[in-house]
Amino acid sequence: MPTRAPKVLVNEVSVTFESHGRSVVALDRISLQAHAGEFLCIVGPSGSGKSTLLRVLAGLLPQSAGDVRIEVDRPGTPLTAMVFQEHALLPWRTVRDNVTFGLENRGVRRAEREARAREMLAMVGLTRFAQHYPHQLSGGMKQRVGIARALANDPEVLLMDEPLAALDAQTRAIMQEELLRIWATLGKTVVYVTHSLEEALLLGDRIVLLTAHPGRVCQVYPVNLGRPRGLEVRGSPVYGALLEKIWSRLREEVVRAMAEDRGGEHA
Amino acid sequence: MRALGRWLGEQHWIAVGSPIVLFIAWEWASATDLLREAFFPRPSTIVIHLRHLAADGTLWDHAAMTLIRIGWAFALAAVLGVGIGLAMGLWRQLREGLDPVFAVIYPIPSILFLPLVSFLVPPGEIALVMTTAVTSFFLIAFTTTHGVRQIDRLVVEAAVHYGARGRRLFATVLLPGALPFIFTGLRLGLGFALIVVVAVEIVSTSRGLGALLWLSWQILKIEDMYATFFVIALLGAVLSYGLAALRTRLLPWVQDVTARSG
Repeated sequence: MPTRAPKVLVNEVSVTFESHGRSVVALDRISLQAHAGEFLCIVGPSGSGKSTLLRVLAGLLPQSAGDVRIEVDRPGTPLTAMVFQEHALLPWRTVRDNVTFGLENRGVRRAEREARAREMLAMVGLTRFAQHYPHQLSGGMKQRVGIARALANDPEVLLMDEPLAALDAQTRAIMQEELLRIWATLGKTVVYVTHSLEEALLLGDRIVLLTAHPGRVCQVYPVNLGRPRGLEVRGSPVYGALLEKIWSRLREEVVRAMAEDRGGEHA
Repeated sequence: MRALGRWLGEQHWIAVGSPIVLFIAWEWASATDLLREAFFPRPSTIVIHLRHLAADGTLWDHAAMTLIRIGWAFALAAVLGVGIGLAMGLWRQLREGLDPVFAVIYPIPSILFLPLVSFLVPPGEIALVMTTAVTSFFLIAFTTTHGVRQIDRLVVEAAVHYGARGRRLFATVLLPGALPFIFTGLRLGLGFALIVVVAVEIVSTSRGLGALLWLSWQILKIEDMYATFFVIALLGAVLSYGLAALRTRLLPWVQDVTARSG
């Protein structure tokens, strides 16, 4: 079980965009916490600002109000490292040079960088592909590089923005188990955004359900499924009951969001 | 030779075969007087004249002159085109300021710049080179600007997230991201430098392949005209393929659309 020390503290965070002269509230006073070593999943209908929240945590987007705090355990390492949905690797760098990119930018010595890259590539099973370019890899392999790149920076918190959404079902299943293995090995705090409730139940310690328009925290569900967890957990009754419970709530939100979208079209 | 064999093996024989078929058809048409031989001499006759031109040094003299001019013009166009193109790609104000100016100047036939340039610098080699550089410059600047603009914003965002800022962001992301387009611009620019230099040589000088071609035509040495024609065409092909090969070598990460998938 994760320790209860809070690692990520999101307090009353709001994000407002200006769009066509109107201001749109993407996140409305979101408050949540992730404990040290916790795998926190964020689920919600499209338009709930899941990715926006992650971008605020990553420092890629300033919040309009509220504050974000990330507890620093190891000064000198970056607060966050993000795994992007479309992998966002640099096409002109080899797999290894993509993995060392963040370290290079921080001025880490070459020998150390390369040792770190070897270690991370071994962890994601891509040792043989260190000198390949991204376009030579499959979708699943590219995402492994994305994960290795994030982990190589040894961030305080690992952020993942629907990292497996673009993969086919089989590859996704394999990657989910890989992720669980890597997370168990490293014990990182993870904030994981997904639109898949099944994925959130398989991976997460807790699930934060967001509402759409504006994005608010609807409910937080603890996932009492035990660890280590594998795909077989899907057969357990606890899993089924939890899925049903969260899904009925999520369905309401999705239907409401869709109705609002349609209303928006007519306005 | 093995590389050539492999290249031919990949069904590029059509690319080699098409000019051969064309020459055989031409040879036959001229021999049977389907084309008037006085104006369309047989390729075999042209080759003989080409050898004469090469043997007495005339051809090399003119070709060297043309190559030197292309070299200077291309270097000028490349340095300014890539430099200004990158700046336009990076700074919106500069792009918005220069775009309309470029849009007006670019379609003007390059040869018309010769008198304009001659007002600014004394007529002669420098004016000739500058005129040759104009169109290439625009092509290279356009493609470079577009090269910077088309870089995936998510990739830039990821690079910033992983700590690349300022000069490092430029050197590790913006420049390499634009390079495939820069190379395309250079290739187009080099081709246009050849087109324009020949035109400029026709109107303004007695040395260079353009001048040789025009002189041959005016004194009705039709075979010499065609021989020069061939040399210019060959030069264009060599320069273009040379730059394409250089790109493949320097940018191994670029997915070649013609490469077999696998």
